[in-house]
Amino acid sequence: MSKSLPQLKIVNRLHVLRAERRMTQEQLAKEIGITRATIVAIEGGGYNPSLELAFRIARYFGADINTIFSIEEETK
Amino acid sequence: MKRLDSILLKSFLYGLPAFIVFAAFSYCYSLGVVNHANVYLNLLNSFAGLVFALWMTLSLYLSVRLMVSEPFRDQVLARLTFIRERDEREVILTGKATRTTFLTSLAILIFLFCLSCFQVSIYRLPQERAVDGKTGIISLGLGFNLLEHSKQDKPRETIEKKDIFSYTGLPVSSTTVILMLIVWQIISYNYSMWRLTR
Repeated sequence: MSKSLPQLKIVNRLHVLRAERRMTQEQLAKEIGITRATIVAIEGGGYNPSLELAFRIARYFGADINTIFSIEEETK
Repeated sequence: MKRLDSILLKSFLYGLPAFIVFAAFSYCYSLGVVNHANVYLNLLNSFAGLVFALWMTLSLYLSVRLMVSEPFRDQVLARLTFIRERDEREVILTGKATRTTFLTSLAILIFLFCLSCFQVSIYRLPQERAVDGKTGIISLGLGFNLLEHSKQDKPRETIEKKDIFSYTGLPVSSTTVILMLIVWQIISYNYSMWRLTR
């Protein structure tokens, strides 16, 4: 029988970084080239961005990707 | 999208109100509401016929272009069905909504296919033709016709019977089914998209 894998959840600090820069979701979306709805979805944990977008966000904030996005084990 | 396609599409859309007005006028003309002795009205009716022919040709050309040209199809149908793919999330959501629409449409088509093949008939035979003393008959069948006219060419039944219930395929026309499926596809896609984004 295969061992069940732990459920992983990607969390992000996007709203913290945005707040530090006093940016609105609309402004950040415009800077990165995506829609505001996507920023809302990422911050709310409803959408995990692709690697490309994650790197684009990290580059925009001048931070390492691991400082913005990290993995947590989901508790049942 | 080619410039010619763009011009023709705009002509088609902006010409739609004129087409409706001319169609209404021609209908009134054929009913005799409009005075046939008036030369100008006769000319107008001829012109309406020309507009009708042009509009039909244009609609045929544009529907063929929709099938064969991918950029034209993407631009026109995406706008008509409210498909928006401004970033990667919307592309993913569009994919999910399209998948749902495709599968539900396929399910509906399978259901309609079954309905169009099934034939059910419940009838009562005259007493002299009773089978084992029973006159009530339930007849089940499957029918598949490749062409519409082959359905009509079938010989008529000559048995004297009193029909109680008879079902021999879909009661709606193929035009209605096609229109319903078009509307369904647009509604289903937008509803799926709404559910995914809320």
